[in-house]
Amino acid sequence: MGKSMDGAPPRKGRQSRDQAFDVWLKRGLHQLFDDVVNEPVPEELLKLIEEDRSKQD
Amino acid sequence: MTASLFHDQVIAILPKLRVQALALTRNRTAAEDLVQDAVCNALAAQQSFIPGTNFGAWMHRILRNRFISDLRKKRETTDIDDAPQSMLAVAARHDDRLSLMELDAALARLPDDQREALVLGVLEGMSYQELAEMSGCAVGTAKSRVFRARRQLEVWLTGEESVSDAGDRKKGERVQAGAAKKNSGAQRVSSRMSAAVV
Repeated sequence: MGKSMDGAPPRKGRQSRDQAFDVWLKRGLHQLFDDVVNEPVPEELLKLIEEDRSKQD
Repeated sequence: MTASLFHDQVIAILPKLRVQALALTRNRTAAEDLVQDAVCNALAAQQSFIPGTNFGAWMHRILRNRFISDLRKKRETTDIDDAPQSMLAVAARHDDRLSLMELDAALARLPDDQREALVLGVLEGMSYQELAEMSGCAVGTAKSRVFRARRQLEVWLTGEESVSDAGDRKKGERVQAGAAKKNSGAQRVSSRMSAAVV
């Protein structure tokens, strides 16, 4: 209560602000990283894995 | 584990390895190289993987060790580069793009281990236990890395601290927070945060 009286935001307000930041952060990280995740795997890398698979079999 | 299953698991985990590699390198080309090098290391060491143990943690650890090893060899810091370029190509609103650029720049300022833990925790849903296994640290350390990364981003980007920090914040951070709040970037991020929860 003291904090609210001296001008600091009330705890409840801070919590909702934290939640808003978490939502924004998650959305931002998705926007920055999702296209990388969704790119097709380079053929060269797949070939490397498949060649090794053949050697092991 | 059969060789076939092992290779299937390697292919299945590639998207997550890309996220980890980009989080660590901040460079798309370097990230692709890192994933390829890590896969080569994993294939060479496949006999050392113990079936029944956590394959994801094993694979992420190989990539992480490779990154650290490469970094030591280079003896130079990685740079921020084309990671945001793809984002800029997205038809997003001007303010969205700017706040994303600010997020990307702030991510680049975080220590590598904190950025990696935050990205894998938030985007890939990795637990503190998994993060700890991956990086060979205590669960408490993994938790602390995610917490500190999030807290630091919030201070830098909004000028605000989280509820849990309010009790133990330091004077220096308070000054930094005050300064950050005045800049337009912080206001822009705050504005986008409000829009995000609507």
